[in-house]
Amino acid sequence: MSKPSPPASTDSTIRDFEAAIAELESIVKKLEDGDLSLEQSLGLYERGVTLSKFCHARLEDAERRIELLSDRGDLRPAPAGLTGDEPER
Amino acid sequence: MSDLFDLPFEDAEPPAEEPVATRRIFTVTELTVRVRDILEERFFEVWVEGELSGVRLWNTGHLYFTLKDSSSVLKGLMFRSALRYLKFKPVDGLRVVARGKISVYEPKGEYQLVCEHLEPQGLGALQLAFDQLKQRLQAEGLFDAAKKRPLPALPRKIGVVTSLDGAAIRDILKVLRRRYRNVHVVIRPTRVQGEGAAAEIAAGLRQIANVPHVDVVIVGRGGGSMEDLWAFNEETVARAISISPVPVISAVGHESDVTIADLVADLRAPTPSAAAELVVARKEEFSSRIDRLHERLVSSALGRVQRLSRRVHELSGRRALAGYTTRLAMTQRRTDELTRAMTDALRGVFTLRARRLQAIDRRLDASDLGRRLARNRTTLVTVDAQLRQTVTALTHRARARLGELAGRLDTLSPLAVLARGYAVCWNDDRTRAIRDAADVRTGDTVHVTLSRGAIAAKVSGIE
Repeated sequence: MSKPSPPASTDSTIRDFEAAIAELESIVKKLEDGDLSLEQSLGLYERGVTLSKFCHARLEDAERRIELLSDRGDLRPAPAGLTGDEPER
Repeated sequence: MSDLFDLPFEDAEPPAEEPVATRRIFTVTELTVRVRDILEERFFEVWVEGELSGVRLWNTGHLYFTLKDSSSVLKGLMFRSALRYLKFKPVDGLRVVARGKISVYEPKGEYQLVCEHLEPQGLGALQLAFDQLKQRLQAEGLFDAAKKRPLPALPRKIGVVTSLDGAAIRDILKVLRRRYRNVHVVIRPTRVQGEGAAAEIAAGLRQIANVPHVDVVIVGRGGGSMEDLWAFNEETVARAISISPVPVISAVGHESDVTIADLVADLRAPTPSAAAELVVARKEEFSSRIDRLHERLVSSALGRVQRLSRRVHELSGRRALAGYTTRLAMTQRRTDELTRAMTDALRGVFTLRARRLQAIDRRLDASDLGRRLARNRTTLVTVDAQLRQTVTALTHRARARLGELAGRLDTLSPLAVLARGYAVCWNDDRTRAIRDAADVRTGDTVHVTLSRGAIAAKVSGIE
Protein backbone atom coordinates (compact mmCIF):
# COMPACT_ATOMS: atom_id res chain seq x y z
CA MET A 1 0.00 0.00 0.00
CA SER A 2 1.26 3.43 -0.79
CA LYS A 3 -0.49 4.96 2.20
CA PRO A 4 -1.30 3.71 5.70
CA SER A 5 -4.40 1.53 5.57
CA PRO A 6 -6.91 0.67 8.18
CA PRO A 7 -5.93 -2.53 10.01
CA ALA A 8 -8.89 -4.49 8.62
CA SER A 9 -7.47 -4.32 5.13
CA THR A 10 -4.05 -5.61 6.09
CA ASP A 11 -5.06 -8.79 7.87
CA SER A 12 -2.23 -11.15 7.09
CA THR A 13 -4.49 -14.20 7.05
CA ILE A 14 -6.39 -12.81 4.07
CA ARG A 15 -4.66 -13.04 0.73
CA ASP A 16 -6.73 -10.58 -1.28
CA PHE A 17 -10.19 -9.30 -1.97
CA GLU A 18 -11.16 -12.24 -4.15
CA ALA A 19 -9.97 -14.77 -1.62
CA ALA A 20 -11.86 -12.91 1.11
CA ILE A 21 -15.13 -12.89 -0.83
CA ALA A 22 -14.75 -16.55 -1.75
CA GLU A 23 -14.05 -17.53 1.85
CA LEU A 24 -16.94 -15.45 3.13
CA GLU A 25 -19.25 -17.14 0.66
CA SER A 26 -18.15 -20.59 1.74
CA ILE A 27 -18.55 -19.69 5.42
CA VAL A 28 -22.09 -18.43 4.91
CA LYS A 29 -22.91 -21.56 2.96
CA LYS A 30 -21.50 -23.80 5.70
CA LEU A 31 -23.41 -21.95 8.38
CA GLU A 32 -26.59 -22.08 6.35
CA ASP A 33 -26.62 -25.75 5.63
CA GLY A 34 -23.97 -27.40 7.78
CA ASP A 35 -24.68 -29.23 11.00
CA LEU A 36 -21.89 -27.68 13.00
CA SER A 37 -21.05 -27.57 16.66
CA LEU A 38 -21.56 -24.36 18.54
CA GLU A 39 -17.82 -23.79 18.72
CA GLN A 40 -17.40 -24.31 14.98
CA SER A 41 -20.32 -22.03 14.23
CA LEU A 42 -18.89 -19.30 16.37
CA GLY A 43 -15.42 -19.69 14.92
CA LEU A 44 -16.81 -19.39 11.42
CA TYR A 45 -18.97 -16.47 12.39
CA GLU A 46 -16.06 -14.53 13.79
CA ARG A 47 -13.95 -15.28 10.75
CA GLY A 48 -16.82 -14.16 8.54
CA VAL A 49 -17.09 -10.84 10.31
CA THR A 50 -13.34 -10.27 9.86
CA LEU A 51 -13.62 -11.06 6.16
CA SER A 52 -16.54 -8.80 5.57
CA LYS A 53 -14.78 -5.93 7.34
CA PHE A 54 -11.71 -6.57 5.24
CA CYS A 55 -13.73 -6.40 2.02
CA HIS A 56 -15.41 -3.17 2.95
CA ALA A 57 -12.12 -1.66 3.96
CA ARG A 58 -10.61 -2.66 0.62
CA LEU A 59 -13.39 -0.90 -1.26
CA GLU A 60 -12.55 2.34 0.47
CA ASP A 61 -8.82 1.71 0.55
CA ALA A 62 -7.57 3.72 -2.37
CA GLU A 63 -7.97 7.35 -3.17
CA ARG A 64 -8.68 8.23 -6.75
CA ARG A 65 -5.24 8.60 -8.27
CA ILE A 66 -4.15 8.90 -11.87
CA GLU A 67 -0.42 8.62 -12.40
CA LEU A 68 1.88 8.69 -15.39
CA LEU A 69 4.73 6.21 -15.68
CA SER A 70 7.71 7.58 -17.59
CA ASP A 71 9.98 5.40 -19.69
CA ARG A 72 12.56 5.77 -16.92
CA GLY A 73 10.08 4.24 -14.51
CA ASP A 74 9.15 7.34 -12.43
CA LEU A 75 5.57 7.98 -11.43
CA ARG A 76 4.05 11.44 -11.34
CA PRO A 77 0.45 12.65 -11.10
CA ALA A 78 -1.37 13.06 -14.40
CA PRO A 79 -2.35 16.61 -15.38
CA ALA A 80 -5.88 17.60 -14.34
CA GLY A 81 -6.80 18.23 -17.97
CA LEU A 82 -6.38 14.55 -18.67
CA THR A 83 -8.12 13.09 -15.65
CA GLY A 84 -11.30 15.11 -16.17
CA ASP A 85 -11.26 16.05 -12.49
CA GLU A 86 -11.58 19.75 -13.13
CA PRO A 87 -15.11 21.15 -12.80
CA GLU A 88 -17.41 20.17 -15.64
CA ARG A 89 -18.08 22.87 -18.15
CA MET B 1 39.40 -7.32 -63.59
CA SER B 2 36.84 -9.12 -61.47
CA ASP B 3 37.56 -12.47 -60.03
CA LEU B 4 35.12 -15.15 -59.04
CA PHE B 5 34.74 -14.01 -55.46
CA ASP B 6 33.97 -10.42 -56.07
CA LEU B 7 30.60 -9.15 -54.92
CA PRO B 8 28.13 -8.70 -57.74
CA PHE B 9 27.53 -5.27 -59.24
CA GLU B 10 30.89 -3.93 -58.30
CA ASP B 11 31.93 -1.41 -60.83
CA ALA B 12 34.63 -2.62 -63.12
CA GLU B 13 36.75 -0.44 -65.35
CA PRO B 14 34.68 0.98 -68.16
CA PRO B 15 35.54 -0.73 -71.44
CA ALA B 16 37.40 1.36 -73.91
CA GLU B 17 35.30 2.55 -76.82
CA GLU B 18 36.89 1.89 -80.15
CA PRO B 19 35.77 2.06 -83.74
CA VAL B 20 34.44 -1.26 -85.02
CA ALA B 21 36.45 -1.03 -88.23
CA THR B 22 38.71 -3.86 -87.28
CA ARG B 23 37.79 -7.09 -85.55
CA ARG B 24 37.13 -6.18 -81.95
CA ILE B 25 37.78 -8.93 -79.51
CA PHE B 26 36.35 -8.53 -76.03
CA THR B 27 37.40 -10.39 -73.00
CA VAL B 28 34.49 -12.22 -71.32
CA THR B 29 34.51 -9.69 -68.59
CA GLU B 30 34.50 -6.78 -70.95
CA LEU B 31 31.52 -8.18 -72.76
CA THR B 32 29.69 -9.06 -69.62
CA VAL B 33 30.22 -5.58 -68.29
CA ARG B 34 28.82 -4.10 -71.49
CA VAL B 35 25.78 -6.31 -71.34
CA ARG B 36 25.34 -5.33 -67.72
CA ASP B 37 25.54 -1.64 -68.52
CA ILE B 38 23.01 -1.93 -71.28
CA LEU B 39 20.59 -3.93 -69.18
CA GLU B 40 20.93 -1.70 -66.17
CA GLU B 41 20.33 1.39 -68.22
CA ARG B 42 17.45 -0.08 -70.20
CA PHE B 43 15.71 -1.75 -67.23
CA PHE B 44 16.50 0.76 -64.53
CA GLU B 45 13.10 0.51 -62.95
CA VAL B 46 10.69 -2.25 -63.94
CA TRP B 47 7.62 -3.82 -62.45
CA VAL B 48 7.21 -7.52 -62.94
CA GLU B 49 4.67 -9.99 -61.70
CA GLY B 50 5.11 -13.69 -61.09
CA GLU B 51 5.07 -16.49 -58.61
CA LEU B 52 7.78 -16.78 -55.98
CA SER B 53 9.77 -19.98 -55.75
CA GLY B 54 13.07 -21.10 -54.32
CA VAL B 55 12.86 -18.36 -51.70
CA ARG B 56 15.93 -18.45 -49.52
CA LEU B 57 17.17 -16.05 -46.89
CA TRP B 58 20.94 -16.07 -46.68
CA ASN B 59 22.75 -15.49 -43.46
CA THR B 60 24.01 -12.21 -44.90
CA GLY B 61 20.39 -11.10 -44.59
CA HIS B 62 19.80 -10.93 -48.33
CA LEU B 63 16.91 -12.75 -49.90
CA TYR B 64 17.28 -14.89 -53.03
CA PHE B 65 14.36 -16.13 -55.08
CA THR B 66 13.04 -16.99 -58.50
CA LEU B 67 10.06 -15.37 -60.13
CA LYS B 68 8.27 -17.53 -62.61
CA ASP B 69 5.24 -17.75 -64.80
CA SER B 70 4.03 -20.59 -67.03
CA SER B 71 6.99 -20.51 -69.38
CA SER B 72 9.83 -18.39 -67.99
CA VAL B 73 11.85 -17.81 -64.87
CA LEU B 74 13.66 -14.76 -63.60
CA LYS B 75 16.22 -14.88 -60.85
CA GLY B 76 15.95 -12.21 -58.23
CA LEU B 77 17.45 -10.97 -55.02
CA MET B 78 16.54 -8.43 -52.44
CA PHE B 79 19.13 -6.82 -50.25
CA ARG B 80 18.71 -6.72 -46.51
CA SER B 81 18.34 -2.94 -46.59
CA ALA B 82 15.21 -3.22 -48.77
CA LEU B 83 13.92 -6.36 -47.08
CA ARG B 84 13.65 -4.51 -43.78
CA TYR B 85 10.62 -2.60 -44.99
CA LEU B 86 8.61 -5.70 -45.89
CA LYS B 87 5.78 -6.35 -43.43
CA PHE B 88 4.95 -9.79 -44.75
CA LYS B 89 7.20 -12.75 -45.24
CA PRO B 90 7.87 -13.77 -48.89
CA VAL B 91 7.22 -17.49 -49.26
CA ASP B 92 7.19 -19.98 -52.13
CA GLY B 93 4.01 -20.01 -54.15
CA LEU B 94 3.09 -16.44 -53.32
CA ARG B 95 2.05 -14.35 -56.32
CA VAL B 96 3.83 -11.03 -56.14
CA VAL B 97 4.53 -7.82 -57.98
CA ALA B 98 8.15 -6.80 -57.75
CA ARG B 99 9.83 -3.50 -58.53
CA GLY B 100 13.54 -3.22 -59.21
CA LYS B 101 16.25 -3.11 -61.84
CA ILE B 102 17.77 -5.77 -63.98
CA SER B 103 21.42 -6.41 -63.38
CA VAL B 104 24.02 -9.02 -64.21
CA TYR B 105 25.91 -11.29 -61.91
CA GLU B 106 29.17 -11.44 -63.75
CA PRO B 107 30.77 -14.51 -62.17
CA LYS B 108 27.88 -16.59 -63.46
CA GLY B 109 26.84 -14.59 -66.47
CA GLU B 110 23.32 -14.43 -65.19
CA TYR B 111 20.98 -11.56 -65.33
CA GLN B 112 18.68 -11.03 -62.38
CA LEU B 113 16.20 -8.71 -60.82
CA VAL B 114 17.54 -6.62 -57.97
CA CYS B 115 14.33 -6.10 -56.14
CA GLU B 116 13.60 -2.87 -54.27
CA HIS B 117 10.02 -3.53 -53.35
CA LEU B 118 7.75 -6.52 -53.23
CA GLU B 119 4.05 -6.70 -52.71
CA PRO B 120 1.62 -9.59 -52.69
CA GLN B 121 -0.91 -9.71 -55.47
CA GLY B 122 -4.56 -9.74 -54.53
CA LEU B 123 -4.40 -9.25 -50.79
CA GLY B 124 -2.78 -6.12 -49.45
CA ALA B 125 0.65 -6.50 -47.96
CA LEU B 126 -0.68 -5.67 -44.49
CA GLN B 127 -3.48 -8.19 -44.70
CA LEU B 128 -1.00 -10.82 -45.77
CA ALA B 129 1.36 -9.93 -42.97
CA PHE B 130 -1.56 -10.14 -40.55
CA ASP B 131 -2.58 -13.56 -41.81
CA GLN B 132 0.96 -14.87 -41.68
CA LEU B 133 1.63 -13.70 -38.13
CA LYS B 134 -1.77 -14.89 -36.98
CA GLN B 135 -1.12 -18.32 -38.38
CA ARG B 136 2.30 -18.54 -36.81
CA LEU B 137 1.26 -17.38 -33.34
CA GLN B 138 -1.80 -19.59 -33.44
CA ALA B 139 0.40 -22.58 -34.15
CA GLU B 140 2.52 -21.60 -31.16
CA GLY B 141 -0.59 -21.60 -28.99
CA LEU B 142 -0.54 -17.90 -28.13
CA PHE B 143 -4.29 -17.56 -28.69
CA ASP B 144 -5.28 -20.68 -26.74
CA ALA B 145 -8.32 -20.27 -24.55
CA ALA B 146 -6.47 -22.13 -21.81
CA LYS B 147 -3.90 -19.33 -21.75
CA LYS B 148 -6.49 -16.67 -20.99
CA ARG B 149 -6.28 -15.59 -17.38
CA PRO B 150 -9.24 -14.39 -15.36
CA LEU B 151 -9.28 -10.71 -14.46
CA PRO B 152 -8.93 -9.74 -10.80
CA ALA B 153 -12.28 -8.79 -9.27
CA LEU B 154 -10.92 -5.70 -7.60
CA PRO B 155 -7.59 -4.57 -9.09
CA ARG B 156 -5.53 -2.53 -6.68
CA LYS B 157 -4.11 -0.48 -9.56
CA ILE B 158 -5.14 -0.49 -13.20
CA GLY B 159 -2.38 -0.06 -15.77
CA VAL B 160 -3.10 1.62 -19.10
CA VAL B 161 -0.70 1.61 -22.04
CA THR B 162 -1.82 4.07 -24.70
CA SER B 163 -1.29 7.54 -26.11
CA LEU B 164 -2.17 10.61 -24.05
CA ASP B 165 -3.33 12.41 -27.16
CA GLY B 166 -6.12 10.17 -28.32
CA ALA B 167 -9.72 9.89 -27.19
CA ALA B 168 -9.02 6.42 -25.81
CA ILE B 169 -7.42 7.52 -22.54
CA ARG B 170 -10.14 10.11 -21.87
CA ASP B 171 -12.86 7.55 -22.53
CA ILE B 172 -11.24 5.05 -20.20
CA LEU B 173 -10.78 7.56 -17.37
CA LYS B 174 -14.30 8.91 -17.76
CA VAL B 175 -15.88 5.47 -17.49
CA LEU B 176 -13.69 4.46 -14.55
CA ARG B 177 -14.53 7.66 -12.74
CA ARG B 178 -18.23 6.96 -13.10
CA ARG B 179 -18.07 3.34 -12.01
CA TYR B 180 -15.50 3.31 -9.27
CA ARG B 181 -14.48 6.72 -8.18
CA ASN B 182 -11.52 5.97 -5.94
CA VAL B 183 -9.74 3.88 -8.52
CA HIS B 184 -5.96 4.04 -8.89
CA VAL B 185 -4.75 4.22 -12.50
CA VAL B 186 -1.17 4.13 -13.77
CA ILE B 187 -0.77 5.26 -17.37
CA ARG B 188 2.27 4.49 -19.48
CA PRO B 189 2.10 6.96 -22.37
CA THR B 190 3.34 5.60 -25.71
CA ARG B 191 2.93 6.43 -29.34
CA VAL B 192 0.31 4.15 -30.84
CA GLN B 193 1.07 4.52 -34.54
CA GLY B 194 3.99 5.07 -36.85
CA GLU B 195 7.50 3.67 -36.99
CA GLY B 196 8.67 2.52 -33.56
CA ALA B 197 5.24 2.61 -31.92
CA ALA B 198 5.10 -1.17 -31.55
CA ALA B 199 8.44 -1.25 -29.75
CA GLU B 200 7.25 1.49 -27.38
CA ILE B 201 4.01 -0.32 -26.63
CA ALA B 202 5.84 -3.57 -25.97
CA ALA B 203 8.33 -1.83 -23.68
CA GLY B 204 5.45 -0.06 -21.92
CA LEU B 205 3.67 -3.34 -21.31
CA ARG B 206 6.76 -4.90 -19.81
CA GLN B 207 7.41 -1.88 -17.63
CA ILE B 208 3.93 -1.23 -16.29
CA ALA B 209 3.42 -4.77 -15.09
CA ASN B 210 6.36 -4.23 -12.77
CA VAL B 211 4.76 -1.31 -10.97
CA PRO B 212 3.73 -2.77 -7.58
CA HIS B 213 0.01 -3.60 -7.29
CA VAL B 214 -0.80 -3.12 -10.96
CA ASP B 215 -3.08 -6.15 -11.20
CA VAL B 216 -4.37 -5.72 -14.73
CA VAL B 217 -3.37 -3.74 -17.84
CA ILE B 218 -5.43 -2.18 -20.61
CA VAL B 219 -3.57 -1.65 -23.89
CA GLY B 220 -5.12 0.03 -26.89
CA ARG B 221 -6.07 3.08 -28.89
CA GLY B 222 -9.02 4.62 -30.67
CA GLY B 223 -10.19 3.76 -34.16
CA GLY B 224 -8.24 4.27 -37.37
CA SER B 225 -7.24 2.68 -40.65
CA MET B 226 -5.49 -0.67 -40.77
CA GLU B 227 -2.20 1.23 -41.15
CA ASP B 228 -3.01 3.33 -38.07
CA LEU B 229 -3.73 0.25 -35.99
CA TRP B 230 -0.74 -1.59 -37.37
CA ALA B 231 1.42 -1.45 -34.23
CA PHE B 232 -1.11 -3.75 -32.58
CA ASN B 233 -0.48 -6.33 -35.30
CA GLU B 234 3.25 -6.45 -34.70
CA GLU B 235 4.84 -9.50 -33.24
CA THR B 236 6.72 -7.60 -30.56
CA VAL B 237 3.44 -6.34 -29.05
CA ALA B 238 1.89 -9.79 -29.28
CA ARG B 239 4.88 -11.28 -27.44
CA ALA B 240 4.82 -8.62 -24.74
CA ILE B 241 1.13 -9.28 -24.10
CA SER B 242 1.68 -13.00 -24.07
CA ILE B 243 4.41 -12.90 -21.42
CA SER B 244 2.82 -10.19 -19.28
CA PRO B 245 2.76 -11.31 -15.65
CA VAL B 246 -0.68 -9.73 -15.16
CA PRO B 247 -3.81 -10.14 -17.30
CA VAL B 248 -4.05 -7.82 -20.31
CA ILE B 249 -7.21 -6.36 -21.81
CA SER B 250 -6.85 -5.19 -25.41
CA ALA B 251 -8.97 -2.31 -26.66
CA VAL B 252 -8.01 -1.41 -30.19
CA GLY B 253 -10.15 0.72 -32.47
CA HIS B 254 -13.76 -0.14 -32.95
CA GLU B 255 -15.82 -3.28 -32.55
CA SER B 256 -14.99 -4.44 -36.09
CA ASP B 257 -11.21 -4.10 -35.87
CA VAL B 258 -9.59 -7.29 -34.71
CA THR B 259 -5.84 -7.11 -34.25
CA ILE B 260 -3.25 -9.68 -33.30
CA ALA B 261 -3.07 -7.96 -29.90
CA ASP B 262 -6.79 -8.70 -29.44
CA LEU B 263 -6.20 -12.37 -30.16
CA VAL B 264 -3.35 -12.70 -27.69
CA ALA B 265 -4.89 -10.62 -24.91
CA ASP B 266 -6.57 -12.32 -21.97
CA LEU B 267 -9.69 -10.36 -22.78
CA ARG B 268 -10.64 -8.37 -25.85
CA ALA B 269 -12.70 -5.25 -25.31
CA PRO B 270 -14.43 -3.91 -28.43
CA THR B 271 -13.53 -0.30 -27.53
CA PRO B 272 -11.46 1.54 -24.92
CA SER B 273 -14.65 2.56 -23.05
CA ALA B 274 -15.74 -1.06 -22.95
CA ALA B 275 -12.35 -2.02 -21.53
CA ALA B 276 -12.92 0.37 -18.64
CA GLU B 277 -16.29 -1.24 -18.00
CA LEU B 278 -14.81 -4.72 -18.04
CA VAL B 279 -11.86 -3.96 -15.82
CA VAL B 280 -13.79 -3.27 -12.63
CA ALA B 281 -17.38 -3.72 -11.53
CA ARG B 282 -19.36 -0.82 -10.20
CA LYS B 283 -18.40 -0.11 -6.64
CA GLU B 284 -22.02 -0.37 -5.51
CA GLU B 285 -22.13 -3.91 -6.86
CA PHE B 286 -19.27 -4.87 -4.57
CA SER B 287 -20.80 -3.14 -1.56
CA SER B 288 -24.18 -4.74 -1.90
CA ARG B 289 -22.67 -8.15 -2.49
CA ILE B 290 -20.64 -7.95 0.70
CA ASP B 291 -23.61 -6.58 2.63
CA ARG B 292 -25.82 -9.43 1.51
CA LEU B 293 -23.16 -11.94 2.57
CA HIS B 294 -22.75 -10.26 5.93
CA GLU B 295 -26.47 -10.35 6.58
CA ARG B 296 -26.65 -14.01 5.70
CA LEU B 297 -23.65 -14.63 7.93
CA VAL B 298 -25.27 -13.02 10.95
CA SER B 299 -28.69 -14.52 10.51
CA SER B 300 -27.38 -18.02 9.84
CA ALA B 301 -25.10 -17.88 12.88
CA LEU B 302 -27.96 -16.57 14.98
CA GLY B 303 -30.22 -19.36 13.76
CA ARG B 304 -27.55 -21.88 14.55
CA VAL B 305 -27.20 -20.66 18.15
CA GLN B 306 -30.94 -20.65 18.61
CA ARG B 307 -31.27 -24.20 17.38
CA LEU B 308 -28.52 -25.30 19.71
CA SER B 309 -29.99 -23.60 22.73
CA ARG B 310 -33.31 -25.25 21.98
CA ARG B 311 -31.62 -28.60 21.99
CA VAL B 312 -29.78 -27.98 25.27
CA HIS B 313 -33.08 -27.11 26.70
CA GLU B 314 -34.88 -30.21 25.51
CA LEU B 315 -32.11 -32.41 26.84
CA SER B 316 -32.09 -30.84 30.28
CA GLY B 317 -35.86 -31.20 30.52
CA ARG B 318 -35.53 -34.93 30.17
CA ARG B 319 -33.04 -35.45 32.93
CA ALA B 320 -33.18 -35.46 36.67
CA LEU B 321 -33.11 -32.02 38.11
CA ALA B 322 -30.09 -32.11 40.37
CA GLY B 323 -27.05 -30.35 38.97
CA TYR B 324 -28.61 -29.45 35.69
CA THR B 325 -30.20 -26.19 36.61
CA THR B 326 -26.81 -24.58 37.12
CA ARG B 327 -25.52 -25.86 33.82
CA LEU B 328 -28.62 -24.83 32.07
CA ALA B 329 -28.40 -21.40 33.63
CA MET B 330 -24.85 -21.14 32.35
CA THR B 331 -25.84 -22.24 28.89
CA GLN B 332 -28.62 -19.79 28.96
CA ARG B 333 -26.21 -17.05 29.87
CA ARG B 334 -23.99 -18.10 27.02
CA THR B 335 -26.82 -18.06 24.49
CA ASP B 336 -27.92 -14.78 25.94
CA GLU B 337 -24.50 -13.30 25.35
CA LEU B 338 -24.29 -14.75 21.90
CA THR B 339 -27.68 -13.54 20.94
CA ARG B 340 -26.76 -10.09 22.11
CA ALA B 341 -23.49 -10.24 20.20
CA MET B 342 -25.32 -11.27 17.06
CA THR B 343 -27.88 -8.58 17.43
CA ASP B 344 -25.10 -6.06 17.96
CA ALA B 345 -23.35 -7.37 14.90
CA LEU B 346 -26.46 -7.00 12.84
CA ARG B 347 -26.90 -3.50 14.13
CA GLY B 348 -23.28 -3.00 13.10
CA VAL B 349 -24.14 -4.01 9.54
CA PHE B 350 -26.94 -1.60 9.63
CA THR B 351 -24.80 1.25 10.93
CA LEU B 352 -22.11 0.50 8.39
CA ARG B 353 -24.59 0.49 5.60
CA ALA B 354 -26.31 3.60 6.84
CA ARG B 355 -22.95 5.34 6.92
CA ARG B 356 -22.25 4.25 3.41
CA LEU B 357 -25.66 5.33 2.28
CA GLN B 358 -24.93 8.70 3.76
CA ALA B 359 -21.66 8.81 1.90
CA ILE B 360 -23.41 7.96 -1.35
CA ASP B 361 -26.00 10.52 -0.52
CA ARG B 362 -23.33 13.15 -0.07
CA ARG B 363 -21.76 12.21 -3.35
CA LEU B 364 -25.07 12.41 -5.09
CA ASP B 365 -25.55 15.78 -3.52
CA ALA B 366 -22.21 16.90 -4.80
CA SER B 367 -22.88 15.93 -8.37
CA ASP B 368 -25.98 17.66 -9.52
CA LEU B 369 -28.00 14.77 -10.79
CA GLY B 370 -31.45 16.25 -10.51
CA ARG B 371 -34.17 13.69 -10.73
CA ARG B 372 -31.87 10.75 -10.33
CA LEU B 373 -30.91 12.13 -6.95
CA ALA B 374 -34.52 12.22 -5.84
CA ARG B 375 -35.09 8.70 -7.04
CA ASN B 376 -32.00 7.45 -5.23
CA ARG B 377 -33.10 9.14 -2.06
CA THR B 378 -36.42 7.33 -2.18
CA THR B 379 -34.55 4.07 -2.55
CA LEU B 380 -32.33 4.97 0.35
CA VAL B 381 -35.28 5.69 2.58
CA THR B 382 -36.87 2.38 1.63
CA VAL B 383 -33.68 0.43 2.21
CA ASP B 384 -33.22 2.23 5.49
CA ALA B 385 -36.71 1.29 6.63
CA GLN B 386 -36.22 -2.30 5.51
CA LEU B 387 -33.02 -2.52 7.45
CA ARG B 388 -34.59 -1.14 10.58
CA GLN B 389 -37.37 -3.65 10.22
CA THR B 390 -34.97 -6.52 9.81
CA VAL B 391 -32.98 -5.51 12.83
CA THR B 392 -36.11 -5.08 14.93
CA ALA B 393 -37.51 -8.41 13.84
CA LEU B 394 -34.29 -10.18 14.61
CA THR B 395 -34.01 -8.54 18.01
CA HIS B 396 -37.58 -9.52 18.80
CA ARG B 397 -37.02 -13.06 17.80
CA ALA B 398 -33.93 -13.25 20.00
CA ARG B 399 -35.82 -11.79 22.96
CA ALA B 400 -38.72 -14.17 22.55
CA ARG B 401 -36.29 -17.05 22.51
CA LEU B 402 -34.68 -15.82 25.72
CA GLY B 403 -38.05 -15.36 27.39
CA GLU B 404 -38.97 -18.89 26.55
CA LEU B 405 -35.70 -20.13 27.95
CA ALA B 406 -36.21 -18.23 31.18
CA GLY B 407 -39.73 -19.66 31.53
CA ARG B 408 -38.45 -23.14 31.09
CA LEU B 409 -35.80 -22.53 33.67
CA ASP B 410 -38.51 -21.79 36.25
CA THR B 411 -40.29 -25.02 35.55
CA LEU B 412 -37.09 -26.83 36.03
CA SER B 413 -36.86 -25.67 39.67
CA PRO B 414 -37.36 -28.34 42.33
CA LEU B 415 -41.07 -27.56 42.25
CA ALA B 416 -41.22 -29.56 39.08
CA VAL B 417 -41.31 -32.62 41.28
CA LEU B 418 -44.93 -31.68 41.86
CA ALA B 419 -45.61 -32.78 38.35
CA ARG B 420 -45.25 -36.31 39.52
CA GLY B 421 -48.37 -35.86 41.70
CA TYR B 422 -46.83 -34.57 44.90
CA ALA B 423 -48.12 -31.40 46.52
CA VAL B 424 -46.57 -28.99 48.98
CA CYS B 425 -48.57 -27.81 51.92
CA TRP B 426 -47.69 -24.38 53.36
CA ASN B 427 -48.71 -22.64 56.55
CA ASP B 428 -51.08 -19.69 56.32
CA ASP B 429 -48.45 -17.03 55.67
CA ARG B 430 -46.51 -19.38 53.43
CA THR B 431 -43.34 -19.08 55.43
CA ARG B 432 -42.71 -22.76 55.80
CA ALA B 433 -43.86 -26.06 54.45
CA ILE B 434 -45.80 -28.22 56.82
CA ARG B 435 -44.02 -31.46 57.52
CA ASP B 436 -45.79 -32.54 60.73
CA ALA B 437 -49.57 -32.85 61.35
CA ALA B 438 -48.95 -31.54 64.86
CA ASP B 439 -48.03 -28.18 63.39
CA VAL B 440 -51.63 -27.38 62.47
CA ARG B 441 -54.88 -27.25 64.29
CA THR B 442 -58.41 -27.87 63.07
CA GLY B 443 -59.73 -24.69 61.47
CA ASP B 444 -56.30 -23.41 60.32
CA THR B 445 -55.96 -22.21 56.77
CA VAL B 446 -53.23 -23.89 54.72
CA HIS B 447 -52.05 -23.48 51.15
CA VAL B 448 -51.37 -26.36 48.89
CA THR B 449 -49.12 -25.90 45.90
CA LEU B 450 -49.85 -28.35 43.09
CA SER B 451 -48.15 -29.07 39.86
CA ARG B 452 -50.51 -26.58 38.23
CA GLY B 453 -51.82 -23.83 40.47
CA ALA B 454 -52.38 -23.76 44.19
CA ILE B 455 -55.36 -24.03 46.50
CA ALA B 456 -56.23 -22.61 49.91
CA ALA B 457 -57.77 -25.17 52.30
CA LYS B 458 -59.17 -25.37 55.79
CA VAL B 459 -58.03 -28.15 58.12
CA SER B 460 -61.19 -30.08 58.94
CA GLY B 461 -59.56 -32.53 61.28
CA ILE B 462 -56.25 -34.05 62.27
CA GLU B 463 -55.79 -37.75 61.70
